[in-house]
Amino acid sequence: MSDERSFPDRVLGFYDVPMWQHLEEGAFKLQRCEACGAFRYPPGPVCHDCLSPESQWTEVGGGGEILSHATFHKGYLPGYETPYSVVAVRLDEGPIVVSNIEGAEPADDWIGRRVSLVLVPRGDAYVLPRFQLA
Amino acid sequence: MGRATGPRRTAAIVGIGHTDWSGDWTRVRNGDVPADSTGYAALAFREALADAGLGRDDVDGLICGPTTALERMGELLNINPSWGDQGDAIGAVMKAVQAVEAGLVDVVALVYGNNQRSAGTQYGGPKAMGGGSFLSYVYHAPWGLTSQGALYALMFQRYQHVYGFTEADLGEVAVAQRAFADLNENAIMQGRPITIDDYLEAPYVCEPLHLYDYCLVNDGGVALIVAEAERARQISEHPVYIEAMGRSDLNTNATSLEPRLTDFYHPAQHRVAEKVFAEASVGPEDIDVLQVYDSFSVHIPLALEGYGYCKVGEAGRFFQEQGIGPGGALPTNTGGGHLSETYMQGWNHQVESVRQLRGQAGARQVEDCRYVHYSSDVAGKVASIIYAR
Ligand SMILES: [Zn+2]
Repeated sequence: MSDERSFPDRVLGFYDVPMWQHLEEGAFKLQRCEACGAFRYPPGPVCHDCLSPESQWTEVGGGGEILSHATFHKGYLPGYETPYSVVAVRLDEGPIVVSNIEGAEPADDWIGRRVSLVLVPRGDAYVLPRFQLA
Repeated sequence: MGRATGPRRTAAIVGIGHTDWSGDWTRVRNGDVPADSTGYAALAFREALADAGLGRDDVDGLICGPTTALERMGELLNINPSWGDQGDAIGAVMKAVQAVEAGLVDVVALVYGNNQRSAGTQYGGPKAMGGGSFLSYVYHAPWGLTSQGALYALMFQRYQHVYGFTEADLGEVAVAQRAFADLNENAIMQGRPITIDDYLEAPYVCEPLHLYDYCLVNDGGVALIVAEAERARQISEHPVYIEAMGRSDLNTNATSLEPRLTDFYHPAQHRVAEKVFAEASVGPEDIDVLQVYDSFSVHIPLALEGYGYCKVGEAGRFFQEQGIGPGGALPTNTGGGHLSETYMQGWNHQVESVRQLRGQAGARQVEDCRYVHYSSDVAGKVASIIYAR
């Protein structure tokens, strides 16, 4: 955690901590409802579909599709030099995850492009789930 | 949804007041600090009381905005009300009407002050305002997503993609509101008209949004006096009635931006439109002035489509063929809105609504204005009021 201040703070609510621990261990896992199978994000106490509190931390397949993107020309956060882009990715499991594209960005159309998960360490601070073009 | 029971007309706005927005804009930019949030609110309250022709002792209810504490505000104004509460602009008006209808109060003061400019309030970054209320404002910071503008940039990018809307289409909003501001002596941006070319040449802040898509950040205050309808007629020659009000919230997967990125808030707007238009016994075609909470220009095309002023996906064409600026078929944010008048977080829109319905809007007055629709849809919490004479 030595250079946590070089990167933006995470929201570490009660239910978020296991997700970040699993990322540290090399897997992007989300809670999957044991009653109905729905994945949820961000982590939380009960299933948004059926309110069941029973869930298993389950690794996602890593595939998804870009729903939207935006490029920051004004910077607000440590660890991000402008211009840089963020994407909203619809995971194949259902949830939308805000993230970034690692490596080459799409030349023109971003929306609808398939992407796959990559785990990217941010110094010693934390590991981020990001995506590359599939 | 909604039982339509006909117009409410149970309460009316009888007083409006505000601080010197453009004067304070200049003063703050010159390094002066004219007041704090409570000070701006108190000055606005004095103006509103005078406008209503009331004394402080006539007030028996107090609502303050989210930026000042209710007890301290009541202490400063020396009001010991029968009932008090706190709320954002539309919430405050709706609460006042509910309190009147419940028989709790007859005359309610609604006061708001904000020193966001001189105090350096952050709308992006680690201390982003609103993060305590809206997890989406802070949750995605590790991936570099921060600032409410960026959330609307993501929303607008997809909206463009789905409906073939263009940046130049969106520029019509900033240009139209700036033109209204030019007709408004209270507007911070009076005397600084812009063209579509100016809009497109201005830098991106969070692409695809340009500088002029963003609201101002300035200091100031607003106050309103709401009275029970019978009292309102005794107090004022031109009470402005709350004809209808409704609200619909989209919370499903709000943090991961689902309501923004899939349906652009439209389902909630459809529900609210159905309720308020039925309650007021009017339709979109009867609305003389539209007022939309415009922290970003993007709110305007989404509201036009969501409330049925045009078909979904056709806001760009509506801007071109009907017009939302001075002389347009649907004059929208006629004071200049948050983009060009003052960023009073929806409170200035209530003042402008009253001025238009009183016929006191000077050079920007919309002829024979009978119905004004105010909509706020911040973070998918969609709410509307229809005001009438
Ligand atoms: Zn479930």
